[in-house]
Amino acid sequence: MPLADLLAPEAIFPMLRASSKKQALQELAHHASVLMGRDQREIFETLLQRERLGSTGVGNGIAIPHGKLPGLTKLFGLFARLEKPIDFESLDGAPVDLVFLLLAPEAAGADHLKALARVARMLRDPDVVEKLRANRDAASIHTLLTAASTSNAA
Amino acid sequence: MGSVFVSNLVLLVVAALVVVGTLSSLLAARFGAPILLVFLIIGVAAGEGGPGGIHFNDYWATYMVGSAALAVILFDGGLRMRIASMRGAIIPAVGLSTIGVVMTAALVALVAGPLLSLGPLESLLVGAIVASTDAAAVLFLVRAQGLHLGRRVGSVIEIESATNDPAAVFLTVLLVELLTTSAGSPGMAMVFGVLREMVVGAVLGVAGGYAIVALLNRVDLPGGLHPVMVMGIAVLLFAVTSLLHGSGFLAVYLAGLVLGNRPVRAIASITSFLDTVTWLCQIVMFVMLGLLVSPEKILVYALPALGVAAFLILVGRPAAVFLCLAPFRFSLKEKLFISWAGLRGAVSIFLATIPMLAHLPQAEVYFNVAFAVVLVSLILHGWTMATVARRLDVTLSDPAPSIRRFEIDLPGQTEVELVAYPVVTGTPATGQHALPSWARLVMVVRAGQTLTPEAAGPLKVGDYGYVLAPPKRVHQLDRLFRPQEVTPMDDGAAFPFVGEVRLGDLVSFYGLVVPDAELGLTIAEAFSDRSDDHPARGMRIRYGHAVIEVREVVDGRVTWAVLRLEPGRLKRSIAKVRRLFGLQPEGDDDEE
Repeated sequence: MPLADLLAPEAIFPMLRASSKKQALQELAHHASVLMGRDQREIFETLLQRERLGSTGVGNGIAIPHGKLPGLTKLFGLFARLEKPIDFESLDGAPVDLVFLLLAPEAAGADHLKALARVARMLRDPDVVEKLRANRDAASIHTLLTAASTSNAA
Repeated sequence: MGSVFVSNLVLLVVAALVVVGTLSSLLAARFGAPILLVFLIIGVAAGEGGPGGIHFNDYWATYMVGSAALAVILFDGGLRMRIASMRGAIIPAVGLSTIGVVMTAALVALVAGPLLSLGPLESLLVGAIVASTDAAAVLFLVRAQGLHLGRRVGSVIEIESATNDPAAVFLTVLLVELLTTSAGSPGMAMVFGVLREMVVGAVLGVAGGYAIVALLNRVDLPGGLHPVMVMGIAVLLFAVTSLLHGSGFLAVYLAGLVLGNRPVRAIASITSFLDTVTWLCQIVMFVMLGLLVSPEKILVYALPALGVAAFLILVGRPAAVFLCLAPFRFSLKEKLFISWAGLRGAVSIFLATIPMLAHLPQAEVYFNVAFAVVLVSLILHGWTMATVARRLDVTLSDPAPSIRRFEIDLPGQTEVELVAYPVVTGTPATGQHALPSWARLVMVVRAGQTLTPEAAGPLKVGDYGYVLAPPKRVHQLDRLFRPQEVTPMDDGAAFPFVGEVRLGDLVSFYGLVVPDAELGLTIAEAFSDRSDDHPARGMRIRYGHAVIEVREVVDGRVTWAVLRLEPGRLKRSIAKVRRLFGLQPEGDDDEE
């Protein structure tokens, strides 16, 4: 599934405010709940449950919180750039400022993993990351992410 | 006056060769050539057949200097080996270094006889000379190339190479004796002989190691003399053991092993001194062996020698490895790698000087064949080892970027060690609370200023961090000061997990394929189970389309691991399943 299918243009937040990891997850859950029409608490709990196993901070200032949400019909993605980098308990200790949230249906299986792998791979490209950090416009970030994932998939 | 002139001339030549040897390391690094080969070539070039034209054929001096150099190299090798990483590898390694050596020698004899038209004993002598792997070359290759071998595989080839010289030396000496007296038959005498070499070597080695430890901790020497004394004792131990018909090589390796694994004063200065001396020994030994050889004589035996080398590398060694390791649980890839890791080096050339010293009629044949075999091995193995290791999947991770650790002696105690690291970009050390609880940051040098840790705050790039830590755990600090690879080696996502996470939980999240027996285990328990309680950084377990890789081990337990998703593999397995059920036409893979 191309990234454009799971990442809506409205799901880009170029200036998210959060002072802690917990607050960031709450903010993300809030925005996701509005876009999905789901309960914010449920989303937050799902993310938190996953973070308890280990941080989804993958290093280099990037985090990919994810989880499975019962009753979801398709993959849901949301991208946020934090106004101020926060500690995300990443293995490399680097504060996180780029967050890609990924929620999957209970039965997503392989699609979920593929999307996750693709997002992680795209966010490992220093070029893409640098552009994301230099950009404050939601529309162009969306274009960047969806275009980057297509060119990366080749 | 004439003799003064000559000795000055000799000094000039020797020193010049050492300088050229050190400079050649730049060349070797540039072209990726095995540096030991470069040393050897410098020796050949300086010798009678090359532009240098130096006529050197003193086999006795070669034997003596070579022994001392090898003793120091092996001692250093033992010093750097962690006993903890040896468990589970000793028995297979010793099997290889005894039965394996005899088997290899016998197999090589089968082709050496017809190829070189030698009698049975004589061909067996050829086999014995080239049968043992060379510790100096193996240790060197593994360490210098930063090859992160899996614990068991790495330990097996290292211990094997350090312990197989006794068998080869004994076999060679015995065969030379048999050939000179041309009487008697081997048999039981041989078995006892090898046994005696090993037992005497082991006992004296361990005793010597403890003696060095006791001496270092009790005797106060003026600064700078500790390393000299230790090296002196190592060579002394080698000589005494050899005189008592024990294996001096085994003895110095074990002494180094004991010393390196005990709390000892001044250990920092000893290791750094030995590091330097080991380099010097490698240069001296290989340049000297290169000088000794006459290229035109090698060419005479080139064809049969190549035959022997090819047989040894492709048939003899693998056969011995597969048979010796059959009782142990090694995978096919591991056995293939251990077969390939049979580097021949100075020991073989050096064993070939024994028939020369004994004035055996065919001495020149042995020497030149041994030299050719070593040359082939240095080129072939030296150049391909890292690639082969990676292809066969026996490396733990890509070669780690080297880090610099400065060790500073703290006189008066042995409980903690002071080490300093330069802080470079991309290391975990710059994070908040990066240091583990057992390590204490005592000083920070920033922009030429010495700061207390309180004044300095978290470490910054460009700092030097001075850390107090127990000697046993110092090497665990390396991880914090090693630049993390910006792009992880595999194509795919990598998520960190603490060691206490249950595999069963990951199954529901990521659809891992975990054996039922391991479902209830935590990541840490699974790794402990699969590694005889000795997990190491970089160790991996594959669960279907994902791999869990160890990132940090504290006190023998995995504390951090990363989960890597491998979409490529996932894609293939999904496509396979789809095809199986007729859901997807052949070749119509997903866009991934």
